[in-house]
Amino acid sequence: MSDEKPYRKLETQALLQQIAFRHGMEAMAASEEGNLAWVSSGFPVEIPVAMNVFPSYPEQAGAIIGATKIGPEVCGFAEDLGYSQELWSYARASIGSTDRPDDVAMGALPKPQALLGCNNICGTILKWYDANSEQTGAPVFLLDTPPLEDEQKPHHRAYVKQGLMRLIDFLTKTFNTTLEEDRFREVSDLSSRAIKLWTQSLKACQNKPSPLNCADRFLTMAPVVSSRGMEHCTEFYEVLLMEVKDRVKQGVGAIREEKIRLLWDNIPPWFILKFFNKLASRGVVFPADTYTHAWSGAVEGTDTSSLLDGIVDIYSNVYLNKNLDAKIDKMVQLIKDFDLDGFVMFSVRSCKRYSLGQLVSKEIVTERTGVPGVVIEGDMVDSRLFNEAQIQTRVDALLEMFV
Amino acid sequence: MTEKAFGIGLDVGSTTTKGVIIESDGSILASHLQSTGASAASAVAHVLGNLLSISGKTRDECRIIGTGYGRNIVDMAHKTVTEITCHSVGVNALNPDIRLLIDVGGQDSKVIRIGANGRPEDFELNDKCSAGTGRFLEVMARVLEVSMDDLGPLALKSKSPCTISSTCTVFAESEVIGRIGSGDSPADIAAGVHQSMASKIGSLSKRVGVATPIGVTGGVALNPAFRYYLSDILKADLWIPDMPQLTGALGAAFIALKDMER
Repeated sequence: MSDEKPYRKLETQALLQQIAFRHGMEAMAASEEGNLAWVSSGFPVEIPVAMNVFPSYPEQAGAIIGATKIGPEVCGFAEDLGYSQELWSYARASIGSTDRPDDVAMGALPKPQALLGCNNICGTILKWYDANSEQTGAPVFLLDTPPLEDEQKPHHRAYVKQGLMRLIDFLTKTFNTTLEEDRFREVSDLSSRAIKLWTQSLKACQNKPSPLNCADRFLTMAPVVSSRGMEHCTEFYEVLLMEVKDRVKQGVGAIREEKIRLLWDNIPPWFILKFFNKLASRGVVFPADTYTHAWSGAVEGTDTSSLLDGIVDIYSNVYLNKNLDAKIDKMVQLIKDFDLDGFVMFSVRSCKRYSLGQLVSKEIVTERTGVPGVVIEGDMVDSRLFNEAQIQTRVDALLEMFV
Repeated sequence: MTEKAFGIGLDVGSTTTKGVIIESDGSILASHLQSTGASAASAVAHVLGNLLSISGKTRDECRIIGTGYGRNIVDMAHKTVTEITCHSVGVNALNPDIRLLIDVGGQDSKVIRIGANGRPEDFELNDKCSAGTGRFLEVMARVLEVSMDDLGPLALKSKSPCTISSTCTVFAESEVIGRIGSGDSPADIAAGVHQSMASKIGSLSKRVGVATPIGVTGGVALNPAFRYYLSDILKADLWIPDMPQLTGALGAAFIALKDMER
């Protein structure tokens, strides 16, 4: 019966469950051994991994809490502690699940020995990890990457590199470990290979029909977020790329009848990924999005110092750490490179760093590309902030423009 | 099977349900408007029954398009189309020159830039807030103890409108009650209410980009004070159709005709 669905499920997706299970088991073991760090999504994880510190991702846990539709309940646990509903829902999900882990079926993380945050994705990380620190007793390390107005200046590089030196020192003292150059090179190489494989799969979506839709990418991005620098991560993207290339070769698309190609901007509403599948039944595919393209910088270098320079460059220049012009440029570039007919911007009120400026961006992107767009409002975890009828009217009206 | 020759548009809004039946040359055979009430399905059935009875046509002779927030409950519709597209098509049929359409309904407001082909090029809707919609005026009319029909004319008597700063219906209600307590005249308060609402809609219009000529539809277009203040804010004359509440249903009926031509 699956043949009748308007979208095609990736075979590689079956591997994700194994990877997630393995990651969960390894995180539990690491926690018991006193070797677990909670890490923010934009953190240079190559360094802790090379120092044998195992990473777990509260943001990814938030996505799981969202996808399993317990977002309102778990965010509510944080609200019971006095946190505002306006607070980033990943932070609320994390604080809530840490407060009441036994009441969270999936998504509560094992106890960490350190919290590694980088503010290249937003400033909320600081206070969120402080709150997690109070809850767990684990110390916080903050890597400060000041937002970039334009090109990264030498003093900015030097400052972030100093932060990395402090990080190495922090991990050495906290986990009684060292950074060995050979291991660092090996982990960076694995990370770099995974990123390059992932980027190739993303780029393959320029083909018509697109081999991947939004939901495919949102699911298959999980290892590149959580397991960069680990062998199984690189292997996963080798398998994914093979399937993607095969689809392209056979002319098989992610959806059965591709009619309209759109760009997606922002984190997805994890609790309703079927949103994309429902649109697939109307011939709408999303060959590109700004979110999964954020993990596209590969760390290059030959020794510890040059690898650190590579990390400084990649992690300072992430999508959310740049100014609005850079974000607009990225959207325009994706619309042109992927030959897209329009765009949907998901305004997530609780994720201010991603959503701020979208109304202005929408106007400018349309001016520069000539394609229409729409802003819809909701949340990625908390379904209480998602009004399906309002969203449907806006998206339907956008699609009617293509008739 | 009977050949379909007539187009019916059924626009199920949050406050009222509207219907229009047209023949192949676009002339209106019948129209009907009633409160949506607690059962949108009953309202739809009643409006459709009226259209068929007045026009003397049968349902089999008609292609039906559902629109409005309740479009998905129009079981008998052959297709559903958003009110954004329907209002554009309806207004374009009545006045092809209109380039910016402002539709203010009971619980939403929308601004649509209409392309030369009569279809939307860009649009914005109010966010999750009833300020800037008919509901805002209904609440204020209740507080001022005047009917909706009298609210606009009352506001136009004002020589010194109050400033109503809140953009939230609930907070504005408190503000209006405060104004009443301070002894401000009902006319000045009513004028302030309209000014506040026009300012909100004006801001939404500027997000889409003000292009003239401008048309205004929806039930609130019947309110003279709203038209006055909106025209003042946009610095432009406003075109209002004879039946501003019916343009969505009319557009849906035209889309039905167009579908039959294909």
